[in-house]
Amino acid sequence: MKADPKSVLTGVYYIDGDVAAGYGALAAGCKFVAGYPITPSTEAFEAVCHRGPKVGTVFIQMEDELGSISAILGAAWSGAKTMTITSGPGYSLMQDAIGFGAMLETPFVLLNIQRGGPSTGVPTKTGQADMMQSRWGSHGDYEVIAIAPDSPQEMFDYTVKAFNLAEKYRCPVMIMSDECVGHMTEKVVIPEAEKIDVEPRRLFTGKAADYRPFSPGPDLVPKMAKAGEGLNLYITGVVHNENGHPVADEKYKSACIRRLVDKIRINKDKIIELKEEGIDGADVIVVSYGISSRVAVKGVEMARQKGIKVGTLRLVTVWPFPDDRINELAMKTKAFVVPEINYGQVVYDVARCAHGHASVVLVPHGGAGVHNPADVADAIEFAVNQEKPMEGVHEFKTRLEKSVFEGGFKLKE
Amino acid sequence: MNSIIEAINKGIEQSGLDRNKISIPSDIPFEPETVKSLGVDYFQVPRGRAIAFGSGLKLGNPELKIIPVVGDLMTLGGNHFVHGTRRNMELLVLCINSFVYHKVAGKSVPVVTEAFSPYSTFEEPFNFPHLGNSCGAVYTARWTALHTAELAKSIAEALHKRGMSMIEILAPGPSYYRYVTDLDSELLQFYFENSTVKNDEDPRNAAITADGKIIVGKFTDKERATFIDSYNIQHTKILGDAFTPHGSLPEKTGGGNG
Amino acid sequence: MAEIRFAGYGGQGIIRSGIIAGKAASIFDSKYATMSQSFGPEARGGACSSQLVISESKVLYPYITNSDVLVAMSQAGYDKFESEMGEEAMLLYDEDLVKPKPPRGKILAHAIPATRFAEELGIKIVANVVMLGFFTAITNLVTYDSMKKALPGLVPEKALPLNLKAFERGYEYGKEILAKKQSNKGNK
Repeated sequence: MKADPKSVLTGVYYIDGDVAAGYGALAAGCKFVAGYPITPSTEAFEAVCHRGPKVGTVFIQMEDELGSISAILGAAWSGAKTMTITSGPGYSLMQDAIGFGAMLETPFVLLNIQRGGPSTGVPTKTGQADMMQSRWGSHGDYEVIAIAPDSPQEMFDYTVKAFNLAEKYRCPVMIMSDECVGHMTEKVVIPEAEKIDVEPRRLFTGKAADYRPFSPGPDLVPKMAKAGEGLNLYITGVVHNENGHPVADEKYKSACIRRLVDKIRINKDKIIELKEEGIDGADVIVVSYGISSRVAVKGVEMARQKGIKVGTLRLVTVWPFPDDRINELAMKTKAFVVPEINYGQVVYDVARCAHGHASVVLVPHGGAGVHNPADVADAIEFAVNQEKPMEGVHEFKTRLEKSVFEGGFKLKE
Repeated sequence: MNSIIEAINKGIEQSGLDRNKISIPSDIPFEPETVKSLGVDYFQVPRGRAIAFGSGLKLGNPELKIIPVVGDLMTLGGNHFVHGTRRNMELLVLCINSFVYHKVAGKSVPVVTEAFSPYSTFEEPFNFPHLGNSCGAVYTARWTALHTAELAKSIAEALHKRGMSMIEILAPGPSYYRYVTDLDSELLQFYFENSTVKNDEDPRNAAITADGKIIVGKFTDKERATFIDSYNIQHTKILGDAFTPHGSLPEKTGGGNG
Repeated sequence: MAEIRFAGYGGQGIIRSGIIAGKAASIFDSKYATMSQSFGPEARGGACSSQLVISESKVLYPYITNSDVLVAMSQAGYDKFESEMGEEAMLLYDEDLVKPKPPRGKILAHAIPATRFAEELGIKIVANVVMLGFFTAITNLVTYDSMKKALPGLVPEKALPLNLKAFERGYEYGKEILAKKQSNKGNK
């Protein structure tokens, strides 16, 4: 299905990533956005509030993030494609309902413009430390899809894609962007509606009496319904059988929850998107995502000038994780270097998949800024000089980290 | 709880509305058979989120009539009630108050349940109708599980209100007392002896106190622009023809026609 | 490739300057331009800067390593970003607001009373646009036509004529300065 021309703001813009994501949501057919403004995601919500009423997208500023996410789940069940927009503190508040949405197999998109944390952290500056929260933030087992765009154009493109994935797999899709990309302004081209593919909701079309809300298809995804159609829906966050009725038996628990996990796992090859460059024959592969991948480019360039063979692998989708690909590359390369704006999150998945066949070097950053490319270059050089694979995850000491450690955590004002 | 379900059923019946267009988001569990017999759509949401979830249902499809059922004295999600009422979201909130009464030392005092509160409670219950009215609810009432006919009538009336209506329902805790029929009937006896109907009473005077009678009745009934009305008016004013109103227009009352 | 830093305080239109120049370069000059903003915990009145990278090819690394141009609209902004300037950078500054250190290396400094010009035009807040006119004339990184095309939509519609006037004022002043410096060189 193609996008509705009414909701596609075709044109060439010079806008930031937040706004581009907002426009992407409209183009994808998002009809309801509930949010509670929070820096640095506010511009995305503003973009929806500004353009939404003209294209038939309803918005509401809720009383808090608990309300925002609950409202979008409600709207999803009345038939709308929905999104909420937030950053760190709001994201934490939403976790309970994210699990509820996953349990109900509700398609929805969550845009998280990550900022420095924990707590209030640095509201106006960047971070990438919500990555594990995006995967496991709510209690219980479930799987999500998480995407990390690296430019305003990608914020538009991948917001559209996020909606499509949400409809296809009926799961939460997180756009795990960051303040740098959210507040980065670049040219964004929004194509004509006929060039934008949108995934329609997979609605049940049979007789009401035959409808079983959680009866899966071959790809493990059940057909969706909406309220008000005479289906007498019984939908609950309690572990349920195919009819949606509560059951507490361990067999049903497995059937219900295992499927939430497996519908993503068995389809992961269709979901995962990677961007690789210079991988063949590379001695070191830099694995990164979001803004860090653009910063790493400079470090890679510097390392290449020293004659080191470096390849780059960008995780466009971070979750589900590309286990097989990392595993395969671990047999061919000496080391993975992982710059991320946290003290080690995605790097542990790289290490898990490297299986000790290649060194895994973390280039950490505490947030409120991006890596110094020279640190990435030095980490690459360090990694390539190891005679045999290092054990576990090696944390590279960056210039910034050294300055903190050397002062014994006491910084001169 | 069964008597409340029965009142909801009768209320919907009396309202004449299409059951297919009614959704009940609830943080209190209903049995699947109950939902089937009501002929509505039902969503059991995390505790405290029925009003927020219901707001989304309504905004996603304004044709729907939404009856959020909330319990736990709205300790969770009370803010959704306050702000949902302020913005006059078109919902009928049934607030199940299981603050029951028990005689301690010869005097009736509110307890949550004996199971949770072995030494009874010293906290005062909310005056929900007063809270709702202060926040701008267009309809407020209070009934006990004993007043099923009055409750059904209130539900029927409130379902035709444009805006946030709220009915507080004093009832035994649904799960703890489900099998304890003795206590159930004892409590209903208590409601019978201790409640007094005062329709049109100022909700400010309707606080539940340990010594006084429980005042029940339909307290307030007024008109105010709903959230969707205000949303439409505001954007039409600013954007003119560029804006297509959402849902039914203010002059068309009742079920709405999308 | 050119790395440009705009620095000042919140409310001066520092980020807006980056957006206008970036839009001109990427949409009307068909180059690539990435603008990033940064501001302190309090946006209004606090230190504020934007960075713009203009390139003939896609901008991969979006930040400044050594700036080619520093546009300073406040002393604090200048002090903070002076050391970031490359050896052959250009410094453009509001002469009433910034007192620069003696130039180092081959850095060329160009001064304009941008805020005073803006006040003469009747409103102080167009000082950033006066500065953009000056920037256009001096650096040649973005064309005159593209800059003028970039203004609509980025300044209030009613204030567009005033902003165009402010832009012209800065541009003319820049051209005069260049001509003067050129003739001084000729005289030497």
